[in-house]
Amino acid sequence: MEYAIECIDLHKSFGRHQIHKGIDLKIVKGAITYIIGPSGTGKSVLLKQLCGLMPPTKGRVLVNGRDLTQMKQSELTEMRKKFGILFQNAALFDSMNVFENVAFPLREHTKLSKGEISKIVSEKLRLVGLRDVEQKMPSELSGGMRKRVGLARAIALEPEIILYDEPTTGLDPIMCDAVDNLINDTQKELGITSIVISHDIESTLKIADYIAMLYDGKVVLYGTPEEFKTTENPYVRQFFSASKEGPINII
Amino acid sequence: MNKFLSLLGAPFLNFIDITGQMSVLFFTTLRLIFKKPFRTRLLLKQIEFIGANSLSVIVLTGSFTGMVFAFQSYIGFHKFGADQLVGTVVALGMARELGPVLSSIMVAARAGSAITAEIGTMKVTEQVDALNALAVDPVHYLFVPRILAGFIVMPMLNAIAVFCGIVGGAVVGVKVLGINKTLYMQYMYTYIELDDFINGMIKSFVFGGLVTLVGCYKGYMTRGGAEGVGRATTESVVLACILILVFDYILTAFMF
Repeated sequence: MEYAIECIDLHKSFGRHQIHKGIDLKIVKGAITYIIGPSGTGKSVLLKQLCGLMPPTKGRVLVNGRDLTQMKQSELTEMRKKFGILFQNAALFDSMNVFENVAFPLREHTKLSKGEISKIVSEKLRLVGLRDVEQKMPSELSGGMRKRVGLARAIALEPEIILYDEPTTGLDPIMCDAVDNLINDTQKELGITSIVISHDIESTLKIADYIAMLYDGKVVLYGTPEEFKTTENPYVRQFFSASKEGPINII
Repeated sequence: MNKFLSLLGAPFLNFIDITGQMSVLFFTTLRLIFKKPFRTRLLLKQIEFIGANSLSVIVLTGSFTGMVFAFQSYIGFHKFGADQLVGTVVALGMARELGPVLSSIMVAARAGSAITAEIGTMKVTEQVDALNALAVDPVHYLFVPRILAGFIVMPMLNAIAVFCGIVGGAVVGVKVLGINKTLYMQYMYTYIELDDFINGMIKSFVFGGLVTLVGCYKGYMTRGGAEGVGRATTESVVLACILILVFDYILTAFMF
């Protein structure tokens, strides 16, 4: 099997606070991998390390076999063009309107004409289910709409790998389903590698090809949705049943 | 003893840390100025923001400083009947010292703080991460236009401040204090040289870079939400003002 990203013995700490205590994870190329786990287990931090936005304290991250931690800044920047990232709060540029936000990566990295750019922008916005918002500022949008604009921006350059940081949190059930389908479709149509951070167990089991569960700085279980449905792993069972009883500490 | 040493060492280490980080960022920015793409639109926007929008503040600061300076120096010169020297002293002081220092302190308060607040907000809302994620170097995108604009705009603002100061001083000297107009002008022309103005221009050029660099740096290092942005903004103005005064001494001693 071919891997898009490999984490080898990844450690991350902030000051004395240890977040990751040796994560080994292989992301299969062209598949959808969900990373689940309770809040505060460092899922977003892991995501940022996967694309080189944050250096790990110890360990290695290989993208297409190349070690991120050994790269120079300029190489990292170049490499990031392969990534599309949807941030938890969308992280839209609030000095630009929706159109300029989605057009930003196209203007920066391609030599497309104005007409072509505006065509791609409206196509991407339509893909995420938005219409007539191009001239609006991010502050005028609802949280869910912002997230979709962020997604349109992330897929504008048609990346090889898309990282979704909680794409459905804060969306209504219909939109959740639409985003789930979008993740599914982009992967099936373009063969994109997708990594999704989620709390939504239902969509995780429905869409994921592989699931990794994070707890206490380690991967407690990695497998297919089938394996997750039948596993006796106490962490997974507790998380899936949303029960207070079990090995996961609720503080 | 340990506690005492750490009390002494922590600020020192902090100082080295900040100096190092700022120098690295400054030289990175200098190198990136010549790297494509050139974002002319962003540069013009910053020139407008730091320069054109500071105009009224600079005109007011310059004229009032010159006016007050004329009054104060008159007190001294009048004692030994050298009233006509007021113009010389006002022009000299404005050109060499007060023009560059006060105008850049005003720009630090007005534009430097805004730069920190803007970049700081971008930092805490992950917009800087988003730039990185979209393979755009934040230093190239955010620092270069601002610092370049600072270098370009500050000498111009200084020229305006100095001009307003000299005019303000002359108005007070001649109209209010009743110094002979011809003598006032004569003494000013005789004793002021082009070097005095160039001196101030060099200073303001350095200060312009300093104020925008501090603004960018403090914004870029912001962490901790809205509170962090507030803290960074205050620190930015304080640090910029202190650095202006320190560099003012160094430059003055150097060009003396």
